[in-house]
Amino acid sequence: MISSLTPTHIHLLLNHFPTIGFSIAIGLFIGAIVSRSDDLKKASLTVLVAVAILTFPTYLSGNAADQAIRNMPDVSKTLIATHEGAALISFVLMEMTGAAAWLALWQMRRVGSVSARTLGTVLLLSAITMGLVTRAANIGGEIRHSEIRLATESTTLEGPIGRDVAAWVNDVAWVWPALESLHFIGLTLLMGTILVINVRMLGLMKQVPLDAIDRLIPWGVLGFGLNVVTGMLFFIAVPQQYTQNVAFIWKVGLILVAAFNGLYFTAYDRAWAMEPEGDAPALSKAMAVSAFVLWVGVMYYGSMLPFIGDSV
Amino acid sequence: MPFVAVITLVVFGVTAVVGVLGYLIDRSVRRHDRT
Repeated sequence: MISSLTPTHIHLLLNHFPTIGFSIAIGLFIGAIVSRSDDLKKASLTVLVAVAILTFPTYLSGNAADQAIRNMPDVSKTLIATHEGAALISFVLMEMTGAAAWLALWQMRRVGSVSARTLGTVLLLSAITMGLVTRAANIGGEIRHSEIRLATESTTLEGPIGRDVAAWVNDVAWVWPALESLHFIGLTLLMGTILVINVRMLGLMKQVPLDAIDRLIPWGVLGFGLNVVTGMLFFIAVPQQYTQNVAFIWKVGLILVAAFNGLYFTAYDRAWAMEPEGDAPALSKAMAVSAFVLWVGVMYYGSMLPFIGDSV
Repeated sequence: MPFVAVITLVVFGVTAVVGVLGYLIDRSVRRHDRT
């Protein structure tokens, strides 16, 4: 029943993407390198980026699942904290892999070929991420599956790092306000780039060459990266403030769709198939309108977080 | 160090790092365009 769908269901559904989805993506990627097929490279890199995007809600819904089960009998809070720590480390590596895969896609479009250095970086990060995510998934499985639990609870070298990071953000006075300022700087970089690209796609500023606009994309992506880091630190610090907030759920949902929208503009030739001062394809115009709607929605729900509040 | 001074240093420091990264990426694109 869809009406009884909870964040725990979402976590149980999504947690297969960073493990099974990622393994398939790596297999495709290795196949692409061996066969030297550019089409397969593009497809596998797109799947790697897609898995990195889907890892966001997987991580976020994990905290909601934690709150739902932490007081149940036979559930170890230590094991949950260990799982969270392992998940956080693998999340960071997963996003680095996704960023490298995005860079490879962007190079393929902008430069026409991807450098061996970028491909090597994607491969190395993928291998490390695969190991970490498998370990995080195994510890996560142990939380509710006593049959796979060892006599002694799983531990990790880094320990419950999620809670250590939370303590740093919450307890050190300058951290939260500094993160807020950086979140706004990231937002301006991202929104400035989105505005210029999409306004051009819709037919304004035709006198500005496409190449000049294209060169802004890395700046927007850097802004997005800055906001991912700062936003995740807010979330890790007080997850219960966000997982129970309907505005946050909308914000994350819109960011996910907007990220795929961004992938279309940044990684695929089709979006830019026009004369330097010509009209954009109809699909690019439609994507430009949706980009505006999605990002305005993200900003709206981001600002409304404290006002809409706890209404899930 | 006073609270506000730390925030200022961190915010300007991280922004400068992002700026340098953006400049380096843009420079590599410009170099490619010239060749």
